[in-house]
Amino acid sequence: METISAEIFTLTYGSMVRQLIADYEDVEEVNKQLDKMGFSIGQRLIDEFLAKSKTQRCSDFREAAEKVAKVGFRMFLNTTAAVTNWNAEGTECSLILEDNPLTDFVELPEALSQLKYSNLLCGVIRGALEMVNMDVECTFVRDVLQGDDVYEMRLKLLSSSPETYPFKDDD
Amino acid sequence: MPPGGKGRECSESCLDFLTLQLVQHYRSQLQGPSQQAALDAVGERVGRQLAERYSRDRPPLTEALEVMKWLCKEFWGEVFRKGVDNLRTNHRGTFVLRDTQFRWLARLSQNQMPAQMGQPLPAPIPKNELAADYLILPCAIVRGALSQLGLECNVTADATSLPQVDFTVVLASAAAGGGGGAGGGAAGAVARR
Amino acid sequence: MAMLSGWHRRMCEEDFKLMFGLFWSMRALATALDPKNPTKQQMGAPMRIGDGCSFNSFRTSSYKLHFLESPSGLKFVLTTDPSVGSMSEQLQYIYASLFVELVVKNPLYTPGEPFLFEPFSAALNKYMRTLGLLS
Repeated sequence: METISAEIFTLTYGSMVRQLIADYEDVEEVNKQLDKMGFSIGQRLIDEFLAKSKTQRCSDFREAAEKVAKVGFRMFLNTTAAVTNWNAEGTECSLILEDNPLTDFVELPEALSQLKYSNLLCGVIRGALEMVNMDVECTFVRDVLQGDDVYEMRLKLLSSSPETYPFKDDD
Repeated sequence: MPPGGKGRECSESCLDFLTLQLVQHYRSQLQGPSQQAALDAVGERVGRQLAERYSRDRPPLTEALEVMKWLCKEFWGEVFRKGVDNLRTNHRGTFVLRDTQFRWLARLSQNQMPAQMGQPLPAPIPKNELAADYLILPCAIVRGALSQLGLECNVTADATSLPQVDFTVVLASAAAGGGGGAGGGAAGAVARR
Repeated sequence: MAMLSGWHRRMCEEDFKLMFGLFWSMRALATALDPKNPTKQQMGAPMRIGDGCSFNSFRTSSYKLHFLESPSGLKFVLTTDPSVGSMSEQLQYIYASLFVELVVKNPLYTPGEPFLFEPFSAALNKYMRTLGLLS
């Protein structure tokens, strides 16, 4: 992978978040837009991930979560996440980031205590997994910018479907 | 891996995908600021911040031409991954920066897939038109960087010969037709050549 | 679904459906017949891409068809002379270095939509020439 100095990426992201806050004036809406933009990015990024990691199959949610955390974060953001807190059914887990390049140089004023600054990441994960037929929910539940020790994303598998036959039989 | 901050690296695709999505987001917005206004604001902020960071450990540049040379070499190298290939000026405040392989737009090309299979290929769209939306952000970044160094200016780009892009910087003082200093600010007064 | 075959032949929509059905059935059949798989899968049972055994090529008397499928559902198809050996690595290269770089990262590509990008076609033809598969 070609790499660049992360500050250009981090500052561009920060400037974009600032613009969204100015555009919407409603923090919830900003969170939503970040997730939505991330989703579109994830739909593109998945093929770079699959192709460059030579991933042949993505059928098991546990495996997918590990890959996102260990390979995905490393490949794109040069950091890794830990996968913890699995529920008994194996359909929910947490991705813990101790180090988040998106938030370098960032401090939030109190008025933005509801802002999920890094919410783009949740959208990216959701968009990427959707392309391998896994519908997931992904949300930030802990955030260093809001005073927590770590960044924690809760990842929940809603449904996982096989490839569907896109044509009618009698077509 | 450095623990964040200076020296940290990430994949180039992060920035590719982010800027692409940024353009698409503002293209699809029906309310709020225009695409031009929003991307101008985002890019100018980035340009200012980067210029401030890159020029921190360096004595201030006082001449406009010096600033432009710094922009073409150091700044361009960091942000657009290689230096500008050719810098020309009319010595009256207009500069043309030619990047023969402008990295941010290197992969841009028209989708020539006909709407229906078997139909003829669609007519080619001029490259300048294809690139227009994607040039707003880089132009704004350059404008922001120069402004941070005390040069207020207008920046436009011509992508007729993509992947070659010509950026034209017109200093505010030149556009106003006046002589003398080309703006003050962080780098102090800049004398025009 | 990306079809990389047929740079010498225009395909019609019906051909795409037939090919999709062929690959669909090949995978289902290959898995159902797998002698190494103790849990016999019902022929036609829904499967995820990459599950069961995937097929990489088949050979006819006049050509060989090479196939690569990504877990995101992209299908890369290449037809060559029947004497050509495995093209798995080459298809992987096309996916990772040509498709990702020249299609996915082209701002004017919309994921999932048909495309025809001149730089991608040119790079593909050039690569095929270096492999000696295209003169």
